[in-house]
Amino acid sequence: MTQTTDEVRTIEAEALPTRFARGWHCIGLERNFRDGKPHTVTAFGKKLVVWADSSGELKVLDAYCRHMGGDLSQGTVKGDEIACPFHDWRWGGDGRCKQIPYARRVPLRARTAAWPTMSQDGLLFVWNDPEGNPPIAEQAIPRIDGGPDAEGWTDWAWYETRVDTNCREIIDNVVDMAHFFYVHHAFPTYFKNTFEGHTATQLQRGVSRDDLRPSEKAIGGPKRKGNTSVATYHGPSFMIDDLIYHYEAMDDVRTVLINCHYPIDENSFVLMYGISLQRPEAEDEDPAEAQALAEKMVATTRIGFEQDVQIWKNKTRIDNPLLCEEDGPVYQLRRWYEQFYVDVADIDSAMTDRFEFELDTTKPNEAWQREVEENLARRAAEDAPVPQDA
Amino acid sequence: MSVRADNRLADGPMHPVGCGSCGAQVLARKSSWQQTTVQWDETATATCTDWDPGSATRGRFPVCEQMRASIAQAVVDGLLPVVDTRS
Ligand code: FES
Ligand SMILES: [Fe+2]
Repeated sequence: MTQTTDEVRTIEAEALPTRFARGWHCIGLERNFRDGKPHTVTAFGKKLVVWADSSGELKVLDAYCRHMGGDLSQGTVKGDEIACPFHDWRWGGDGRCKQIPYARRVPLRARTAAWPTMSQDGLLFVWNDPEGNPPIAEQAIPRIDGGPDAEGWTDWAWYETRVDTNCREIIDNVVDMAHFFYVHHAFPTYFKNTFEGHTATQLQRGVSRDDLRPSEKAIGGPKRKGNTSVATYHGPSFMIDDLIYHYEAMDDVRTVLINCHYPIDENSFVLMYGISLQRPEAEDEDPAEAQALAEKMVATTRIGFEQDVQIWKNKTRIDNPLLCEEDGPVYQLRRWYEQFYVDVADIDSAMTDRFEFELDTTKPNEAWQREVEENLARRAAEDAPVPQDA
Repeated sequence: MSVRADNRLADGPMHPVGCGSCGAQVLARKSSWQQTTVQWDETATATCTDWDPGSATRGRFPVCEQMRASIAQAVVDGLLPVVDTRS
C-alpha cells in the first residue's frame, strides 16, 4: 500500500470502558480472608466486603449496607453473617438480610448484591457480571496442574501491588514478544499465540542472555539455559503459566506462575502474581530451601513487573498501535478481550473463534544476538587493562 | 471499545487455505516463511480432525500439523503469497 511519507500518524484512544469484564477474578490468597474478620476489597468500581461464614465458606457482598449505607467491611462477623457496624443489621452471604436484632421483622426487598465465589488452589475468586447472571460453567478456572495442593510443590510465593492504569495494558503483554527483550531482558526464540473461546494462550521458548543474567544474579541460583512457557488466560484476568526452566548443570525445574489482576476502577487495578515450584527430587531436599527459592523467584518476577509498571506509568493508551510484521497479534487479542465487555448476547463469533499467530523470530533474534554481543564486547573492553600507550 | 483492523492486513490480506487432510477451510497469512497467521471459524474448528491442544507441562504447543503442512504447501504451490518475498 502506498502512503504519503510526510503524513503524521495520530494516536487514537476512545474513552475507557464504563463496565468491568465479565468473568472470574482472583482477589488473592484465600487464607488471608479466613481470619474471622471482614475484609475490604475495592473492585469493579465498588467497595466489597469479604468474610468467611461458620463453615469456612468465603462470601462477598457489596460493602454498603442497604439500610443507611454503613460500611459492612468495618463490621463484625456474627455466626454466618456480616453485621453492620452502624445498626447491626445481619447480612447473609446470599445477599439477604437475615435479622435485625432490634426489629420485629426484616422489611421486604432487604437484599443486597452478592458476588459468586470460588476457592481453589489456595486462591479466592469472585465472578463479576454486569448483567448479573450466574457464572458460566465452561469458564470455570481449571485446577492447577502442580501448585501448592500438589505433593512436592512449594506454597505460593505471592505478591500484590496496585497499578494506576487501565488493565488492558497488562492484557497486551500476552502478544508483545519484543518487550520481553527490551523490558524484561529475556530472549524469546519461539513465540506463538492461540486464542479460542474464553482462553488466550502465549507459547514461548527463550534462552538466557549472556550479557545479563539478572534472574540468576537476583536469586543467586544456578545458571539457566532457557525456559519453555505455556501461559493461558482463562477469562479476562487469570493467567496460569506453566513455566519450565532449563539449567546447564541440573534437571529442568517445573514452576507455575500465576499472573492475575482485578480492576479497582477503570484507571487502576490490583496486580497479583505467585509462584509455586516443584521441589527437586533429592532425598535430602529441604522443603524450606525450595520455598526460599520460590520466594527469590517471585522477587525476580516482581522486578519484571516493576519494569512493566514503569512503562505503563509513562505511556499513553493507544487503540491504533502501528505494528510491524515482527509484532504479535495485538488487534486480534483485543478483539478476543472485547467478549468480556459486551453482553453475552452480543458476543460475536469473531471474538471467540480459534486464531493462531506464530511469530517469525529470525530477524529479532539476529538483532538481539548482535546487541548481546556488543554488550559483552563493551564489558570486556571496560574490564580490560588500560593500554600503556593510551 | 471498538476494535480496529490490524494495520498489517493493508500490506497483505488473509487468503483461504484448505487442509489437505480433513478439508477444513481457514484464512491464512504469511508475512515470511516462518510467520503464520491462521483464522479458523466454527465450521473449520469442527471439521479439523488433528488439532492437538498441546501440553503445557511438556512444553508442547497447540497446533494442527496437517493444517500447518497444508499452509506451507500452499506457499510452495504459489497459492498463498508471502508478504515479504525479499527474504
Ligand atoms: S446502615 Fe447498616 S445497619 Fe444501619
Ligand atoms: Fe511485561
